[in-house]
Amino acid sequence: MQQTLRRRGFLAAGLSLGGAAPAPRHVAAADPPAPSGLKVAPSSQAGLSPRLTFHAIDIFHGATGAGLKVDLSRYEGGAWKQLKTVEVAPGGRPADPLLVGEAYTPGRYEVVMHVGDYFERLGVKLPKPAFFSKVPLRIVIHDASQRVHLPVLFSPWGYSFYRGS
Amino acid sequence: MAGITTHVLDNLTGRPGAGMRIDFSVFENGNWRLVKTLVTNADGRTDQPVLPASEAKAGDYELTFHIGDYYTTQGKLSPEALFVDTTMPIRFSVFDVAQHYHVPMLCTPWSCATYRGS
Repeated sequence: MQQTLRRRGFLAAGLSLGGAAPAPRHVAAADPPAPSGLKVAPSSQAGLSPRLTFHAIDIFHGATGAGLKVDLSRYEGGAWKQLKTVEVAPGGRPADPLLVGEAYTPGRYEVVMHVGDYFERLGVKLPKPAFFSKVPLRIVIHDASQRVHLPVLFSPWGYSFYRGS
Repeated sequence: MAGITTHVLDNLTGRPGAGMRIDFSVFENGNWRLVKTLVTNADGRTDQPVLPASEAKAGDYELTFHIGDYYTTQGKLSPEALFVDTTMPIRFSVFDVAQHYHVPMLCTPWSCATYRGS
């Protein structure tokens, strides 16, 4: 709890790009939005029903990937068929699981993260076109009775993902 | 040196990922066009550059790593053991042909990582 409060205090004190603003910063019309800070402790999903969940961490800013758009597709009939586009909420996860209930079925899935748009919106100076614009991650769900968590750590120059918990 | 190179590191064994198939494509006229298929050597690299300096051109490129075949044939894992899909693409842009682009793939059956390397 203390940790949470301290983080909130830090944010209130003006965490911005670079995190060095000395005073509370009011976003002017021309200013890019600040990345979403890390305000909450990790949450365990142990014991939840089978589902596919996603969590994006922006390791360039030390923030969650709030505002990151992701497309979810499934491999069907020889092609990737887009199922939905969702946005990552302030906590780093989309509001709802990517797949849950009847929608959660075995198959090959692709998550495409719009990291180019994400960093551009935050005002990060990058080459044009950026090294990464739309980042695909491909996973397989073999057994729909198991819960699958997909965490991703990303920056403008690299990313990693793994089977999480 | 400009151009594109890659390197596969198998973090399950801590060894170079030898014998992995990689498809190299370029984005042209709204589609991915396969340029060539490569196979990693004993050091996890390709004998020839993915794209030699002489052919370096700004654009969008894709390296698709056949991670599934690699772990099921060489690693003797069952396909059900894999979390990463059988094919895992990395898509990136060459924005300055004077620079070199080294794009490594670090993988296990359950994870992937890449970055702009050197």
